[in-house]
Formats: sequence, C-alpha cells, structure tokens
Amino acid sequence: MTETVSVTELNTRVKELFSRSEGLNDIWVAGELSNVKRYSSGHYYFTIKDSGSEIRAVMFRSSRSRIDFEPADSLKVQAFGHVDMYVERGSYQFIAETMRVAGTGDLYMQYEKLKKQLEAEGLFDSARKRPLPVYPKVIGVVTSPSGAVIHDIITTTRRRFPVDILLAPAQVQGEGAAVSVVAGIQLLNRVGVDVIIVGRGGGSIEDLWAFNEEPVARAIAASKVPVISSVGHETDFTIADFVADVRAATPTAAAELAVRDRHEVIRQLEDCVLRLNKALTAVSERQWARFRVLDSRLAPKRAQEMVGMLVLHLDELSTRLAAALGNRVGAMHRRFARAEGQLDPAVRTMLVAKRAEAAAASARLEALSPYSVLGRGYSFVAGSDGRAITSVKGLTVGSLVIVRMRDGRAAAEVKGKEEYHD
Amino acid sequence: MTNDDVQQMSFEDSMKALETLVAQLEGGQLDLDQSLQVYERAIALRDHCRKILDESDRKVQTIMATAAGDQRADFKDVDG
Repeated sequence: MTETVSVTELNTRVKELFSRSEGLNDIWVAGELSNVKRYSSGHYYFTIKDSGSEIRAVMFRSSRSRIDFEPADSLKVQAFGHVDMYVERGSYQFIAETMRVAGTGDLYMQYEKLKKQLEAEGLFDSARKRPLPVYPKVIGVVTSPSGAVIHDIITTTRRRFPVDILLAPAQVQGEGAAVSVVAGIQLLNRVGVDVIIVGRGGGSIEDLWAFNEEPVARAIAASKVPVISSVGHETDFTIADFVADVRAATPTAAAELAVRDRHEVIRQLEDCVLRLNKALTAVSERQWARFRVLDSRLAPKRAQEMVGMLVLHLDELSTRLAAALGNRVGAMHRRFARAEGQLDPAVRTMLVAKRAEAAAASARLEALSPYSVLGRGYSFVAGSDGRAITSVKGLTVGSLVIVRMRDGRAAAEVKGKEEYHD
Repeated sequence: MTNDDVQQMSFEDSMKALETLVAQLEGGQLDLDQSLQVYERAIALRDHCRKILDESDRKVQTIMATAAGDQRADFKDVDG
C-alpha cells in the first residue's frame, strides 16, 4: 500500500532528514558570494556559488558579530553552518553561522606555524623581556603618520611627562607593510631613542598581517632598545605582541607604559623633601643634645666657646637653608605653592628657635664667666699654680701672686694681710 | 662647594642621586656641616627635577632615511 502524504508532511520529513544528516551539518562550504542583500531585520541573504553550482544562504543578524568583514558580492568565502529546509517553499538553503574570507585559513595556519617556531627559539621567553626605561627622553614610534595611534601617543605623553617623540612613519598594512615597519624599527635603533612603540589600530587579520610576519618579529627581537607593541584591538594578539618586551592593549596604554605620570613623580619629590627636612631636624637635635652634655661637663670657658661655635653654625645653617629655600621658591610651580609652603617653614621655625636658645645659653654662660666681670673693673688673684685664690688664709706675706685683669696680668708680692671677721 | 653640575644631570640620574642623598641624611652618620651640604645638594636636585617636569615644550618630529641621510621634520598632529 503506497503512502499518500500532504506536501507539508513531505517537506517536514525532508527537513528532519536534513537535520539528522551528518554530512549537512557543521560543515564548511567554500564559494563566492553573490546577490548579497542585507535586510532591515539585520539578516543577510545571499547565494554561495562555485563554477558548477550554487546554493541560497542566509546569515542571521545574531551571527553577524562573528565575522569581521562586510559580506559583499564576488567575495570568496568559506561559510560554516548547516543545510536547512524551508518547508513553506519546498526549497533548501545554507544557514551560515560564521564565515571567513578565503585564504584566511591559510593565514591562521601560517600564524600558528610561525608562532610555534619562534616560541621554540625562545623569542617569547619572559627572560628576554627588558625593563622599560623609567624616564625616557625620546620615545620612538613606528606607525602610520595619519592614524589615531600617533595622535593618542602624543596626547597621552603630553599629559603625563615631558618627552620628545620621534616618529618613523610606516606603512602598517598591505603589500610592503612588514618591510616598512622593519625599516622604522631599525632606523630608530640607529638614531638612538630610549624606547620604541610599534603599532597600528584595529582591523581584520589581513589588516594586521604585517605584525604577524617573521621579519617584523625578528626586528623587534633584535632591537637594542625595549619595544612596546600596540597592534589592533585588545583581543588581537599578533606575533609582534609576543616578541615585544611589553604588549599594550591600546596606543594610550602604550604611552602610559612608556612614561610615568608627572603628578606621581612630583609626589615622590615632595616626599623626598619631607624626609630631608625630618632628617636635618634630627641632625640638629642631635647636635644640640651633644652640646648640652658638654655644657654640663666642661669648664665655663670651653663651654662658652662651644656655644659660640654652635651659634655660628646655626646662623650659617639658617642662612644657607633660607638661601636654599629661597632659590627653590623661585623655581616653584604655582600649583604646588601651598603644599610646599607647609613643609619648609617647620624647619625654618625650628632653626630660629634653636638659635635663640643657643644665644640665651651663651648669654647665661657669659654672665657666669669670671672673665666677663673683669671688664667692669674687677680683677682676681691667682697663685703661681694658676689657681684662683679666694681666701687670705692661703696667702703668706712675701709670696708671689698673679693679678688677672681684663686685658692682662701682673705679678705682685704680698706685703701684708688682714683677715675680715664679719 | 656649588651644585651647578646638577643642571647638566639627566632626570633619571637626578632622581637616583636625590634618593641616595635622602637615605644618607636619614642614616644620621653625617655631622652638621656635611648634613647641610647634603641637604643643599638634595634641594638643588629636587629643583632641577621640577624644572624638567615643568617643561611643556617638547619636540615631536618625524624621521626618514633618505639617500641624503636621515631627514627630520617637525610633525604636526591633526588635533595637536
């Protein structure tokens, strides 16, 4: 008994057959695009054909993000997907889930091969990576003179740190790009820069291809100065990125890696000044403490000299410090005037206080010194041993004594003596 | 002793020298006069670094190898 089915049933059975057939699912089909139409829904409808045959195909909007090129007529592609039955029309079509431009597959293979080879040679080893200079004076850049890359690098470095930029204009895609990039790297090495940024903006694998070529990889590896790579978008990894000393996700990031932020550097400088001031204060405190010990131990005359020297020292310290601070104030940038104003007066105040303290101590010692009263008409008497004689009890008539006056001394003979009894 | 030589020093050398002097002064092994010399030199280095940091006029040039040698030219950034 032969079976009679509706058209719908028939087409539904074919659809099921297709969906179960291994040879029609998850396959790559190669051909040329034609009749490409993009609908407002975002879906693409086109024909894939070769010299002998053709098939209707569709790429839904949800799959569009998987490809990095715009489908166009006569483009040779490889489309990945499955064959599906359109039941209502009784026609079948290819549902393209992703596509690649023909030849790209070869590029991927070349990429993988070169990557393996260079990796085996050790060109990607972390031990080969050189540290970037902390304060480069000249940054070399190898990129297109008209692209966003050089603009971003100039803008970013200008914002962060004063540095010269030397651009070796290079062709960054198409025939001859690799040669051009290699020449740029070698030229900058020859004229001497502190670090090199090599890069270009985003694009398809073909656009970025120069940075996957062996000569570029070798030139980066041979560079005498460290190389920062910035090729394509964050998700693109080229061979150049693996060989470079540092890989930056964007040109801005590359510039940020190349130079420090001046505000950060200024903070570090101010921290140094803070530490200097603290250390100098400590030195001065120690000096002062030492003087105090001497003061208590030494004879008044010696102590007085010490005080005198210390006052001199402090005066000098104060003057030189004021000069040092004064010079600096001249060079000070307005923005930081306030912060700096708070730092150094602390030291200045400390010095002024110390000097006053020293002067007072000096005056006190001077008042105590026996020599100071000599100026007021007093004199004192010493024995031949130089010791002061403070009582007539120690004197014998006829002995020799020394009379010490403000500006000299005289030898005298005791002619007689009388002791007071209060 | 003057600190005039500081003017000729690179930013990097100046920063390194400054750090060393700070550490020296903090070490506390110097007498007052030496401390003062170190302090003055450190301040001179700091001033020098700040002067470099405040320089805004930096060169942006292109360089190309030609038959007549390396040719440099000022580069004008589109928005710069």
